[in-house]
Amino acid sequence: MIGVLRFLGTNCDRDLYQAVEAVGLKPQWIWYQDTFDPKAYEALLIPGGFSYGDYLRSGALAAKAPAMKSLTEAARAGVPVVGVCNGFQILCEVGLLPGVLLKNQNGKFIDEWVDLEVVAASPYTGKKKVRYPIAHGDGRYFVTEEDLKKIQDKDQVWLRYFDNPNGSTFDIAGVKQDGVYGLMPHPERALSEWMGGADGAGFFEGFLK
Amino acid sequence: MIDEKLKTYRINRAEYQKICDLLGRPPEGVEWALFSALWSEHCSYKSSKVHLKKLFSTSSRVLQSFGENAGVIDLGEGEKIAFKMESHNHPSFIEPYQGAATGVGGILRDIFTMGARPISLANFLCFGNPSAKRMSRLVEGVVAGISGYGNCVGVPTITGQTEFHSSYDTNILVNALAVGYFGKKDPVVTSVASGEGNLVVYVGAKTGRDGVHGASMASESFDESSASKRPTVQIGDPFFEKLLIESCLEVIRADLVVAIQDMGAAGLTSSSFEMAAKGNVGFEIHLDKVPLRDPTMGPEEILLSESQERMLLVCEPSKLKAIEEVFSRWGLDATAIGRVFSERRVRLFWKGEVISDLDPHLLTENAPQYERPFEVWTSPKKVERLGDLPALNETDGLLENTKKTLESVQGCSRRWIYRQYDQRVGALTARDCSSSVGVQRLPESGRALGLVLGCRPYVMRLDARLGGMDSVYEPALQLAAKGFEPLAVTDCLNYGNPEKPSLMSEFVASVQGMSQACESLKAPIISGNVSFYNETEGKNITSTPSTGMVGLRERIALPKEHLQNAGDEVFLIRLPMVSTWGQQGELMERLEFCGELDPDRLSLFVKDLWTWTKDLGVEVSTRVVGKFGLLYALARFCSEEVGIRTQNGPWAQAPQDWFKENFYEVLFSAPLGSFSAENIKSRFSVKDVQVWKIGEAVSGQIELEGRTFSLTDLSLMYETGWRTHFEKLS
Repeated sequence: MIGVLRFLGTNCDRDLYQAVEAVGLKPQWIWYQDTFDPKAYEALLIPGGFSYGDYLRSGALAAKAPAMKSLTEAARAGVPVVGVCNGFQILCEVGLLPGVLLKNQNGKFIDEWVDLEVVAASPYTGKKKVRYPIAHGDGRYFVTEEDLKKIQDKDQVWLRYFDNPNGSTFDIAGVKQDGVYGLMPHPERALSEWMGGADGAGFFEGFLK
Repeated sequence: MIDEKLKTYRINRAEYQKICDLLGRPPEGVEWALFSALWSEHCSYKSSKVHLKKLFSTSSRVLQSFGENAGVIDLGEGEKIAFKMESHNHPSFIEPYQGAATGVGGILRDIFTMGARPISLANFLCFGNPSAKRMSRLVEGVVAGISGYGNCVGVPTITGQTEFHSSYDTNILVNALAVGYFGKKDPVVTSVASGEGNLVVYVGAKTGRDGVHGASMASESFDESSASKRPTVQIGDPFFEKLLIESCLEVIRADLVVAIQDMGAAGLTSSSFEMAAKGNVGFEIHLDKVPLRDPTMGPEEILLSESQERMLLVCEPSKLKAIEEVFSRWGLDATAIGRVFSERRVRLFWKGEVISDLDPHLLTENAPQYERPFEVWTSPKKVERLGDLPALNETDGLLENTKKTLESVQGCSRRWIYRQYDQRVGALTARDCSSSVGVQRLPESGRALGLVLGCRPYVMRLDARLGGMDSVYEPALQLAAKGFEPLAVTDCLNYGNPEKPSLMSEFVASVQGMSQACESLKAPIISGNVSFYNETEGKNITSTPSTGMVGLRERIALPKEHLQNAGDEVFLIRLPMVSTWGQQGELMERLEFCGELDPDRLSLFVKDLWTWTKDLGVEVSTRVVGKFGLLYALARFCSEEVGIRTQNGPWAQAPQDWFKENFYEVLFSAPLGSFSAENIKSRFSVKDVQVWKIGEAVSGQIELEGRTFSLTDLSLMYETGWRTHFEKLS
């Protein structure tokens, strides 16, 4: 069973749920007010999309939800966790991932397909180069130079943009820490050719491993 | 005294007399506000109704049309869609971010109030010259408002159209369209109230002072004091709307609701009076129970507030608890503010006292209807034969001028705009804003739904009747070129002051043209709105009847947008009916056209086209030739790597013909040897269709009559054109 978290305002929840089903796994909703047994799920997913309308700061309010307490315990117990877009922002907010996500350099929301390079071992893609869409206003990954060195030394940068769209430090599109992965692009929007690309299917096959 | 009241409430003498006759006495207290709102042009359609009644609006697919919040059509296989387009012009000019944002919010509520889950948005925008006062700011604000609201609420914007012309310098147009989806199990609900003893329940955001008198503000022309109307613009909250979508769909799908309507223009007034009127029942409403942001608000302000993200629903008393639970889980309140009784009256209470007691039909059915004077359309710019464009009749200048068109504000890329829209949330998008048709995959059947906008303002400036027909045929052809059967239309009729006969003539001619075109295609107009008084200090906008058209196709793999491989053959399919210098001619002050559209043959052409292309897939590419004519279309048909080699021929005999617009023609490319001109022509039963092989795809450049241009240069012009017009926008 794969747990998919839902907060008030989350809007990529159903997309992610369907993507999990598409690889033959069983997803289950986790409502933000509910706590759960850390061992109840094989993996946990935090979808993208404006939890709490991005009020205060993207991800900040969701980070305080009861379900995130259980998720944090589960992550510490070794359950794989993935956050996409707003999910990535939330994971940074609770400190399960290093760094922060700031407003895009041009100050605007950006939606486009981007080419990405998988630069560290990850179960969540079959290939070295993948193409996913991005859709975010606050996608500029930022870490201090000192912290960048630290996460590089530990191979925590796993996904990078070929052509940096938002001003992210070191072209970073995704980081990891232990079994927790975050990424700004949306693999659930790249599941088949009719969507404009099918590289995202390989991402979700990662949960089968 | 009376004169002052009439001015405040924007009611004229004759209307005042009619109110007195209907009531048998002069209006009192809040009645002034009620008549002002519901008899406003915006709510009552008093200048347009006599003409709208004649619109072609029926087909076997239509399940709901005018009269409900949105039209609903049956797609077969258990699937249905609701869709509608609406204007938010006046608020957007006063306050672009909030005006555009709440335009999106309002049209979404019209969709999910029917029980449909919103799956896509589109927007039709008309701005003035980039150099006009405030224009950069207006463009930036409107786009940011649409992006800010649509992205957060989680509905993708999949297509759009943006026009620029000086007639919009002081009155921009912001038209938003939304589409909602019903699967097999999803019920369609209406706003028809019923059931004596049932409860009237208020859900969503609290009521504030924003937007009071908004409907009547939107029903008059602008003047210098318009900036002072900023408080009549509403403020939107997309997070709240998202919660409202989820909670409303949940109570509707759990069968907890009898009727539901959003509080749009004229807020609680229009929703309560319309729901009661449609159901032929009475409403008792206790205004002091309405949740307020500001407790000092009085009954009149509560009635007229246009605070956003609010709905009114009717439910059986036994279901209130379940409804409250659903809304509370989504962090929202549901408050019973009244009940339904059998006699058709709306009785308003304030702190226990009746402050108004009226038959709702007085306000909703008895509003005045005007037969505004107009003249029979005579097509003043129609000529026997087009004159020449000597400035463009040299082969040497052709590609140079094409670069100019690609860089012009009319012809350059809109990427700066649509890059700010989430085009994929919901994971249904198959073709996004960069394509000629927005395409989504229908969740249950896997079929393709196409969405495209119509209306070319430069054609409207050429001829109102031709422009009205083109507002339907051009999008129909866009759909047909990708193998979609055009199914139905929504419209947003943006015009100037209807009290001026010349403008009313344009309205009548164009609406008749649209209706005739729809009828020939058997694609009914099922929803829409009218926005009159797009006038500032006597200057009127181009009459702009924008449309949204949906089409259906079995296979999701559809023809592509660009040339694919060097060696592919390129064909032109033309049904010549109207010729004009079109967009190019307008820039050179040559506004004229010859010929006319024949609905019988044109509708057959559209049908033949989609019947053929519905079975074609990604191996071919198609493009409808439009503004700036054939050469611009070819330049846009090229991909980043693959261009075309072509030359003069029967399709363009003189150099200037490359800029002529022929209504209508379509480019088609396919791998070498897979099609021939004869073979394509045989697909069309309509006579006079011409098909030529006009060239072949080559690598890296456009070659015309031996002159070459690199694609890199052309795409640079197209992509950077925007920046040359809007330097200040980041």
